[in-house]
Amino acid sequence: MNLTAGQELPELMKHPTTRQLVQYAGAQGDFYEIHYDQAYAQGVGLPGVILHGLLKAAFLGQLVTDWLGDRGTLKAFEVSYRGIDVPGRPYRCRGRVTMVEGDRVELEVWGEDPDGQRTTLGSATVEMKK
Amino acid sequence: MSATTSVVERLRARIGVAAPPTEATVEAGHLRRFAEAIGDDNPRWKTEAPPTFLVALAPASLHLAEAEEYGKGWLNGGNRFEYFEPVKVGDRVTATGKVADVYEKTGASGSLLFIIFETEYVNQHGRMVARLRGTAIRR
Repeated sequence: MNLTAGQELPELMKHPTTRQLVQYAGAQGDFYEIHYDQAYAQGVGLPGVILHGLLKAAFLGQLVTDWLGDRGTLKAFEVSYRGIDVPGRPYRCRGRVTMVEGDRVELEVWGEDPDGQRTTLGSATVEMKK
Repeated sequence: MSATTSVVERLRARIGVAAPPTEATVEAGHLRRFAEAIGDDNPRWKTEAPPTFLVALAPASLHLAEAEEYGKGWLNGGNRFEYFEPVKVGDRVTATGKVADVYEKTGASGSLLFIIFETEYVNQHGRMVARLRGTAIRR
């Protein structure tokens, strides 16, 4: 497949639930209460429990590895959390190729809430197999 | 204000000081539970770590009790992973973390404290497999 700047990655829809947040808290070992205790979350000024930033990073990581398959290797991956996301609201992962230079490909990735707000921005660098 | 200033000063004194390393083995059951939790059913993750798995293997940030004197809660500002070698089931990984930077920013909605963590992950062959940079925010 010929890669060129501007190409979009197949999007990935995620449907996070509070159950998934608890599952993720256990799998990562991050037991900060804002991810599973509604009263605690509201007590620190949040609307309720929110997704772990690193869970959103994992979603965007999957977007990249699903697209990449065994065609290359992920070299760098960066995410910046710009807004909160709550369970029960679908999370749409998107991305596109921003630069192709020899075997090196740069990607822009982002996560959108149902209002189209980009709550997570990121980038990835992959090295394609020769 | 002097109380919060001293928190920042105390934390800044820790910049560059490496925490004691932690060691962990990449276990098949842990990989499976992690892949299930993120909802990624790629069979590749039965034997290999998905891109963000290292944060589950060893703490990605140090526990800084004194930072909790600042503001009322933590936020994750961002994470950056660099990958050098694949991480496979059975690998024994040593993680060494440090505080890379601490600074305060004042905006329209008040003051925020930024703590930048850096963790290096080295495998049983002494090869660096990944480096992680994370921004933790107290608000």
